[in-house]
Amino acid sequence: MDVSVQVGTGSAGGLSFARSGLVRRLAQLPWGLVLFIVAIALIGTGMLHSVTHDNAAEADLPLKHLARFAVAFAVMIVLALVPLRYWMRLALPVYVMTVLLLVAVEFFGEMRGGAQRWLAIGPVNVQPSEFMKLALVLVLARYYHTALPKAGGRYLLHVPALALMLLPAALIFKQPDFGTTLALLASGGAIIFVAGLPWRVIALTGLIGATSVPVVYNYVLAEYQRERVDTFVEQIAGQSTDALGDGYQIEQAKIAVGSGGLRGKGYLKGTQSQLDYIPEQHTDFILTVVAEELGFFGASGLLLLWATIIGWGLYIAWRCQQLFGRLAAAGAVAMLGFYVVFNVGMVLGLLPVVGVPMPLVSYGGTAMLTVMAGFGVVLAADIHRKAPSSAHGWF
Amino acid sequence: MAKRPEEKQAVDHGRRLAIAAGAGGLVWTGLIGRFAQLQLAKGRDYQDLAEENRVRLDLAPPERGEIIDRFGKPLASHRQAGRVTLVREQVGDVRATLRQIAKLIDLPPARQERIAREAVRQAPFVETLVARELTYEDFARMKLHAVELPGVAVEMGRTRSYPSGRDFAHMLGYVAKASQRDLVRLISAVVRDRLDPQQRQWLDAQGFDGSLHPAVIERRLPEDSEIRTSWRETRQRLNRLYQHPDMRIGRSGIERVCDSWLTGTPGSRRVVTNAAGRIINELDSSDLSPQSGRDVVISVDSRLQKAAIERFGKESGAAVVLDAETGDILALVSTPAFDPNSFVNGISQADYDELRGNDRSPLYHKAFDGIYPPGSTFKMVVATAALEAGVIDPDERVYCPGHYRFGNRTWHCWKRGGHGAMNMHEAIKQSCDTYFYEVSKRTGVEKIAEVSHRFGFGDSWALGMTGGAEGVVPDDAWKRQALGEPWYEGETLNYGIGQGYLTATPLQLALMTARIATEGRFVEPNLLVVGPAIEGEPHPAPQFEREILQRMKEAMFAVTSEWGGTARRAGELGVAGARMAGKTGTAQVRRISAEERASGVIANEDLERRLRDHALFVGYAPAEDPKYAVSVIVEHGGSGSRAAAPVARDIMAEALRLDSRRAPYVQRMAGRSAGAAPAKGAP
Repeated sequence: MDVSVQVGTGSAGGLSFARSGLVRRLAQLPWGLVLFIVAIALIGTGMLHSVTHDNAAEADLPLKHLARFAVAFAVMIVLALVPLRYWMRLALPVYVMTVLLLVAVEFFGEMRGGAQRWLAIGPVNVQPSEFMKLALVLVLARYYHTALPKAGGRYLLHVPALALMLLPAALIFKQPDFGTTLALLASGGAIIFVAGLPWRVIALTGLIGATSVPVVYNYVLAEYQRERVDTFVEQIAGQSTDALGDGYQIEQAKIAVGSGGLRGKGYLKGTQSQLDYIPEQHTDFILTVVAEELGFFGASGLLLLWATIIGWGLYIAWRCQQLFGRLAAAGAVAMLGFYVVFNVGMVLGLLPVVGVPMPLVSYGGTAMLTVMAGFGVVLAADIHRKAPSSAHGWF
Repeated sequence: MAKRPEEKQAVDHGRRLAIAAGAGGLVWTGLIGRFAQLQLAKGRDYQDLAEENRVRLDLAPPERGEIIDRFGKPLASHRQAGRVTLVREQVGDVRATLRQIAKLIDLPPARQERIAREAVRQAPFVETLVARELTYEDFARMKLHAVELPGVAVEMGRTRSYPSGRDFAHMLGYVAKASQRDLVRLISAVVRDRLDPQQRQWLDAQGFDGSLHPAVIERRLPEDSEIRTSWRETRQRLNRLYQHPDMRIGRSGIERVCDSWLTGTPGSRRVVTNAAGRIINELDSSDLSPQSGRDVVISVDSRLQKAAIERFGKESGAAVVLDAETGDILALVSTPAFDPNSFVNGISQADYDELRGNDRSPLYHKAFDGIYPPGSTFKMVVATAALEAGVIDPDERVYCPGHYRFGNRTWHCWKRGGHGAMNMHEAIKQSCDTYFYEVSKRTGVEKIAEVSHRFGFGDSWALGMTGGAEGVVPDDAWKRQALGEPWYEGETLNYGIGQGYLTATPLQLALMTARIATEGRFVEPNLLVVGPAIEGEPHPAPQFEREILQRMKEAMFAVTSEWGGTARRAGELGVAGARMAGKTGTAQVRRISAEERASGVIANEDLERRLRDHALFVGYAPAEDPKYAVSVIVEHGGSGSRAAAPVARDIMAEALRLDSRRAPYVQRMAGRSAGAAPAKGAP
């Protein structure tokens, strides 16, 4: 009890945060976890090299990837050092603003690749749906932090949380961006679960969800989304009719993965990878290179690495004494887990191709920044785990 | 010691986190399990697949053999036509490229959209057809601009063509782009050939058909088995081959039965390619030149065929002309017909529906598949049976009052007033029904059936084309099996005049005529002069008493040549004084009720077309030294003497004028392929 008071006075001291606090906090970072994160990014860089090295136009992608990681890493560290009370203050305004941006996208957004996701603000193009992933985690954690102690275990407590989650999810689904919608539902759902959504409600939701599948399929999904689901179902049912047609990508991915065997064909020696059989191999399907060239050892090794990181994240959430930090960390970890599971599931032909990258390994700037910011939240929740829950009001 | 609410909550959250971690652990285990399944359990399979991916068969399609008539006139050949294809991987933006092409040739936006969608569905390295059958101007223009359109190929393609159009439609059949059904059929045939009898039996028992994709069938075959390996290899080769825009497969007729003979062997080599289809190196430098398919020569004289079809005019029906001694089919007419050319590149649904809906059944091969009651043309068979059985003396007279009573029912002769006293010669000549009611009753169903079989009824021949109906030669056993009832003696009476359950094809009628004309020679129909050996059950040579058949010939001569014969005007052919002998037949297609009989049978002309009688005629010529046998059926034509006999006479006159059997067959036994394989693809 007295420890928390001590830290509380320290951080409440405002300016004292500046110098000696910085070094101390850096030292408090769970450097083991950070090391794992760096390791995964390096693996990604190596795999990108394998995919791109024989193509002059793409040969600089690994370096770009590394550079982006460096920037994102810095962002992560900075965010980690931000005390939780600042996070809490920012949560609601950021959320509201992002929702407004999403609405703006709906009206003024730019179409790219058939989806309306980008918004031009001056010279910068932003993708508000990407911000929303983090904003949602923060706002839900913030909401429960204040509401839970007051409301205890009442059911109605969760209604506003659900609304906070479903509003942006619906907006993003309309863009349409199925992958991000699912990511929001996963991380938001995780927070609501950890916050204590009663089992009865969970069971009921599951039931309604299962029965509404045909309705969603027929009336909510767009034509191209339906096609993806169809392709997927055919794959699962073993009735994929045309290995040269719709199922081509998944079929090729499975061949790449399976042909890797136990030890893989060797770095830079995967025939599927080196002969460009798999579309989008430097982004969403990068795992196929790992599996083909490094084999079962490589692929399951990468998965274990992720398991360690995610487990560590959950541990951080568990030992965080502050509800906000705990829930935010849990949400961020859930988002991460969602990315990994969906990416792997997709590549292995277990889940539909919804366009979810493998975090830190797939090439792509926005997603990397989001993920690293998420890590920033987790790390912050760890460094400041003993901070007292100062805010009981809304700001 | 009161707990703060926050602490109480904290315990709860911790449990929830642990549950979440547990769920995550399960998912992770599942994912690693899936890796193990793909990489460890099935790793070998996928390694094979990866290898096949990389190593591709580069195939050059062979030139399909021609089908020619006995004098070498091509009936199925091919013509060259310009074609445009694109490879998605190489063009980049498919839609933009199509818009570019649309500036050069006619390519409406709807078609562009369809092509673009097809291109996206296919593997990126497969060529997608953009346009075919280009006019010369379009071809030249495209060729000129092709350099500006990378990934777009403008080349000459071969298209199967049937220069005689409809004339040989049913016999030749047609080719089409290979469907899933075709591929399954082809793969099965190749794989079957490689198996031992036991495995073959197993495969047949699986009953795989075209409703399953070949790749799906492959997965159902036992893993690591010889069958599966063979299937996969064959499937990949054929799949690739039939993707070529020039490749077609025989869908029906001779094109289908002689498909492998006509197809030839594709040229092939194994190359390593990347996904874009670029060849990175060659694994074995075997020759890419394909082996052309062989020609098929058929016994038909296209001039006679054409003349016979023209003679039919707008009537629907069938005609068969046989070489009476050898059984060579000289003409096999089924009219109306369809244009096989319209099937080669896929017929439109509207056109196909129109063909199918046409009440004169243009898609139906009437001469080979059509079964009709033979009517009075069958009377020679009944008479032969009676004489063999010794139940009547040919000179014995049976009185015809115009009807025949048996039990408590009355059978009618076509001539209401009756023919008076009839012996066998007169009864055939005047086609008296009463006489044959009596004779068939005496002979009995079993004897008639037995003799029918000897004349070729109830039988079919593998002639090298699809189809071939057997018709029905009814007897007691047949009826019990088909209808679950015993034979009634009254039905034997209908049998006597070629009605009732009895049905026959025009080919069988011509064959019967040939066997009578040659006085019992073992004549069998024959179509392929040069072609693959066709598996079929051998038919035993029938034995006949010569005197009986001579008696039949005399009666048939009387039909066309004596006063009172039913086809007296059909005898004179006007070619070198030759005469035709024959027999008319009128097959009733409706039942005439007792009331209608009482009030007078409605004349054919007053009936709806589909209720009118079929008109038949069978004949041979020259009467004294038979060379050709003919059968004609005019569907719903009315009476045989008025509608069918004149057609038969004109066809026979043309047959004698052309006298095709005198000239030798064309000398193209080995086909063009032996020496003149195109040097395409050779370095």
